[in-house]
Amino acid sequence: MSSRRSSRLRQSGSSRISDDQIADLVTKLQHLIPELRRRRSDKVSASKVLQETCNYIRNLHREVNDLSDRLSELLASTDDNSAEAAIIRSLLNY
Amino acid sequence: MASANKPINTDVPEKDVFALHFLQSLSNLRRQNTFNSPEKTNDRVKKIKKVAYVSMARAAGGTNRLWSRALLRRAAKENNKVVRFPRRKKRVTCLRRRRSNRRDPVEEEEAERLRNLVPGGGGMEISKLMEETAHYIKCLSMQVKVMQCLVDGLAPK
Repeated sequence: MSSRRSSRLRQSGSSRISDDQIADLVTKLQHLIPELRRRRSDKVSASKVLQETCNYIRNLHREVNDLSDRLSELLASTDDNSAEAAIIRSLLNY
Repeated sequence: MASANKPINTDVPEKDVFALHFLQSLSNLRRQNTFNSPEKTNDRVKKIKKVAYVSMARAAGGTNRLWSRALLRRAAKENNKVVRFPRRKKRVTCLRRRRSNRRDPVEEEEAERLRNLVPGGGGMEISKLMEETAHYIKCLSMQVKVMQCLVDGLAPK
């Protein structure tokens, strides 16, 4: 029991991440966000990256919502509008 | 344990893995006759949305990521189910956010908004939060692509 506790302490000490690693993660995030990818050459501040990351995530959530709406409409109808639609419906066991 | 120098991996599976999980889940919904009733639109949309997130979490590696574990746990709680995750080999240090004396390159208030957006973000240390965010973003955009493909395929030409 005590060994487990001391190993947790040891781990929390050694898992302190360096500033370099955080900067590296910030750069990684910067490359993932379309808004910021164009400015790869410029150094973008960490706070700007975080800000844009939040916006990007919110946009993605919104897209999931819209697409769920669309899918709900499309799946409720059973018209086969095209060959693709027929294939998809058969995949979904219609 | 030199965890400071380990390369951080944020790779995600290919798009077809996400597609497969999503189609399977949709097919399950179909089996439950979710699409038959024309009235209950909101219900239907909510179910599809939930299935989108859950299948994404499963496709992305289910229990290996904090965000996917949090998502699956949340979804199971909504169904009144108890989820048990296998014990991870590497212990995750979920520190309570400490008043850090060292100068952080990333401010805590800015990280707070991110914590609210990423599932399970509340208990993560900042570096872990950013790693999880990168993975989460990649998976979200994969899921969006898959859903867009389905919509395009089903839409009237």
